Amino acid sequence: MTEGDVSVFGDRSARLLREMAGEGIDVLLLYGNAWQNDYLRYATDFGILEGQGLAVVREDGVTLFLDSALEAARAERECTGVEIVHAPDLLDRVDKALSRLSNRRIGTAPARLIPRKLAARARDLNMSDRTGFLDRLLMGKLASEVDAVRRACKVADEGYEVFMKAARRGRADYELIAETEAFFRSRGVDDNFQIIGVGGPEVRGMAPPGGRRLKPGDMVTTELTPCVDGYYAQICRTLVVGEPSTEQRQAFALYREAMEAGIAAVRDGVTAADIARAENEVFRRAGLGDYVTDEYTRVRGHGVGLFADTKPHILEDVTTRIDEGMTLIVHPNTYHPVVGYLVLGDVVAVTKDGCEVFTGTPRELFGVPG
Amino acid sequence: MRRGLMGWNPDELPKAALEARIARLRTAMARGGFDAVLLYTNLTRPSAAAWLTGFTPYWSDGLMLIALQGAPVLATALSKRVGNWMRTTDTLSEIVNTPKPGALVGKRLADAGCRRVGVLEYDSLPAGLHDEIAGAAPGIELVDLGGTFAAVRRVVDDAERGLIGRADGLACAALDEIDVESASDAGDVAGLVEKSARLGGAEEAYIAVAPDLDADRRMIRVAGSMPLGRRFAVRASVAYKGCWVRRIRSFARDDTAQRAFAEADAWLADAAASLSPGSPLEAQLSAGLSQLPGAGLHNMMSESCIGSYPLEPVADAPAGGYVVMTVALMLAGTPWLGAVPAFVGR
Repeated sequence: MTEGDVSVFGDRSARLLREMAGEGIDVLLLYGNAWQNDYLRYATDFGILEGQGLAVVREDGVTLFLDSALEAARAERECTGVEIVHAPDLLDRVDKALSRLSNRRIGTAPARLIPRKLAARARDLNMSDRTGFLDRLLMGKLASEVDAVRRACKVADEGYEVFMKAARRGRADYELIAETEAFFRSRGVDDNFQIIGVGGPEVRGMAPPGGRRLKPGDMVTTELTPCVDGYYAQICRTLVVGEPSTEQRQAFALYREAMEAGIAAVRDGVTAADIARAENEVFRRAGLGDYVTDEYTRVRGHGVGLFADTKPHILEDVTTRIDEGMTLIVHPNTYHPVVGYLVLGDVVAVTKDGCEVFTGTPRELFGVPG
Repeated sequence: MRRGLMGWNPDELPKAALEARIARLRTAMARGGFDAVLLYTNLTRPSAAAWLTGFTPYWSDGLMLIALQGAPVLATALSKRVGNWMRTTDTLSEIVNTPKPGALVGKRLADAGCRRVGVLEYDSLPAGLHDEIAGAAPGIELVDLGGTFAAVRRVVDDAERGLIGRADGLACAALDEIDVESASDAGDVAGLVEKSARLGGAEEAYIAVAPDLDADRRMIRVAGSMPLGRRFAVRASVAYKGCWVRRIRSFARDDTAQRAFAEADAWLADAAASLSPGSPLEAQLSAGLSQLPGAGLHNMMSESCIGSYPLEPVADAPAGGYVVMTVALMLAGTPWLGAVPAFVGR
């Protein structure tokens, strides 16, 4: 854990206890695994990889129960100020711990993922769903958290540079990610979310690498999301093997206009829907309105922070208020009928009157030697 | 989040092998009185669904429904836009993309007239999915599958042996990259090992380091530059097409410890290769420590894949069963860590 990490965690912990007191929550039960870890990480600062974890957060301390012996040993070294318990019988141990607290008001998050056996005891244990409470804390960040995302964005920029240098004719898609991961490990990045697309008009989206080899003319799309001191920052960029074609450049220009329209819409007080609409109107004006539907795209951006993909989702039917202190990625990633799937995305921090762009990589359709 | 090579290769994992696995499960289901079986899958708990169909979600989660007949049904919140990708890893299942996988599965169970449904690791099923299933199929009895799946799962076929062998090759080659004389930084070493594994086609690689064994033998994911001590250890947990191995290698810069470590490595390799089925694995290894003079046991763990986790602690293994043995020893006052995969009784 770095010095910066320790102070951010300290800030978060203090805030969590304050907010719990304000909401009348005596105890929190937080669940996490490698896929969905933000709630757990908020209170423990542990990036779980294997197995499952449950944290019991009380005013007098946090206990993290982990069912993996290897993860428990790792957590003992990596987490300061948190009691670590190796619990092969995870649910029974946590049930017992909660039973000792059943005269308290216990909140759980994320409710959907709380194991069935524990959730079934909600009435007995005086437990209630507090996912929304944690969501609010995860979305609206402290200044030290926003700084952490800023630092992560710098590493994301550097990671993309490594990715670009690795992207050469004949290389396999998984080899590009291997190079990026090696760079990240050496930089102390302990996790990364990354998907990739390689090809032309037949490519409808990004996914884990499947062994495709780069050839001239291919568009290579990627979103890479390094985790630095617990905070994930994402960058989405497209490159072409060789010189981009006129069609590719024209398509890219549209995506750049859409992203910049979305970023221009970001400020305190708007909604997620406003940002999505600003992006999508660019496509509609170009006669490509079909391609901003869920047939071709998932979201037009999302939150970034203690997880690679957090609320709010930037969609036209999401009315979440955008507040100063949120960190988002604005990305009009979608399928283009002429050239295929294209991505472009920058991370911003919301300010009172607009936003600060953290991503430094130029907004270009890069060409690499083919 | 998975970002290594994923995809179904029929030469490595023949469809016939998957169909045989499903058939064995169905035989056990019929014997156990289950009309259907539900398996939860996400990237932390992918192994049950992956063993039967080859599918591992790189993101999100899903429910796999295996009835006594018909294709497996995979209901997942993964978007339909990644449907093509999903079909590159799973050619057997009917794949249904839905924001409410539990509701869809519940309806299928109800429509099929299922009465008793076994759920693998029922206690751990996410509450949201459980509530969806129960809401859509209120008359169905959901029970824990118990040992039914594990009994079927512990049979290792040729396809799985091949994939495990491939994963082990990647892990060993990755650790071979470390030059003990020149290695100075734990972060660099972790990057080197992970790069090698991923360039070789690993689906996933979790690399952990004990940077200074004399100070602390517990392994960490290195965050930032950290110098390596005189003696250090590296653990490579590597997956290839859904099959996982662990290898730990301890390194020393002094001749005395190097010799001791080499002896311990050889001991563990022999001991793991000599494991017998049906009796406690850790006791067998402990008994064999007499072959390594001066060695004191610190702790030991035996793991296998018997459920949804890629590897979880097990006490013993059947003949031909797959295990990973992780051992921590003191060798005349020097900590040593090792881990090897093995097939019991082979």
